[in-house]
Amino acid sequence: MESPIQKIMVYIDGTEQSITAAQYAIYLARFMRADLFACYIINTKALDDLLKASIFLKEEQLEYEHDLEEDAQRYLNHVREMADAKGVHIETKSVTGSVHQEILTTVTDEEIDLLVIGELSRIRSRRDEFYNETERAMRSVSCSVLIVKDEDRVYDLFESLV
Amino acid sequence: MALVDLITEDVVKVPLAADNKPALLREMVQVLKDAGKIDDFDTVLQAIQDREDKQSTGLEKGIAVPHGKTSAVKSLVIAVGVSNEGIDFNSLDKEPSKLFFMLIAPPDQPGPHVQALAEIAKLAKSPAFLNILIKADSAKAVVSLLRDE
Repeated sequence: MESPIQKIMVYIDGTEQSITAAQYAIYLARFMRADLFACYIINTKALDDLLKASIFLKEEQLEYEHDLEEDAQRYLNHVREMADAKGVHIETKSVTGSVHQEILTTVTDEEIDLLVIGELSRIRSRRDEFYNETERAMRSVSCSVLIVKDEDRVYDLFESLV
Repeated sequence: MALVDLITEDVVKVPLAADNKPALLREMVQVLKDAGKIDDFDTVLQAIQDREDKQSTGLEKGIAVPHGKTSAVKSLVIAVGVSNEGIDFNSLDKEPSKLFFMLIAPPDQPGPHVQALAEIAKLAKSPAFLNILIKADSAKAVVSLLRDE
């Protein structure tokens, strides 16, 4: 019987939680023999908003975009190295735009069966419910979503792969 | 990490004592120092000042967002202050600034810095909420308002 999960996408955002999610996604991809795809979204929508709000100068917007591009490459390279070390093939991609919208678009374009994301921040205010981009994506994405918790257990699972 | 997770009572000062911009920047950096969030007062102050020298971060409706990058911090830190009298911050609308969000981040962690600033930009779009925050009479009230809005 064919596995119900053929292609997994892990969302990387430069947090430790997203690296834990990547470890779990690598474990799952190996276990299920699924294709693995890692995506980092450079939040240019937020940079545009900061410029419009006059919090950023134009030169700052460009500087931070460059910083975020470097951050994306650093984290995606790290995830690629983790996957390579466990013998799992991985495709990586960084895209620009609104986090929420680009997650939805990428899931559709890449025909993803399962989106893996890191543990979400606790909801501490009603504002969080509206503004957390990853949570918005989780609610509206077309595929199933797995939220990875228990960093220690995930690390042990990841390390158990030989 | 969400903005509210970084704003605890020990990084909020109400009311601020400063009555001018240089004193305000020093007072808020001192809040971070007293809370144990930073070690190198002078380097952090210089990072903030460097950004202010390019253009004031005083926005409209009484809010200002002094911010900067320096490797003197290991992760994003935030201080919040409320000035009852308001301070001439050379703001966009030329009105005194009363509510201050100060953010310092390391250069290699742009993601959380941008996210936190974006949350503040969204707050700045709500004049009614800003008015309530500006009238807060204690650090506890500011934290409570930010969590319960």
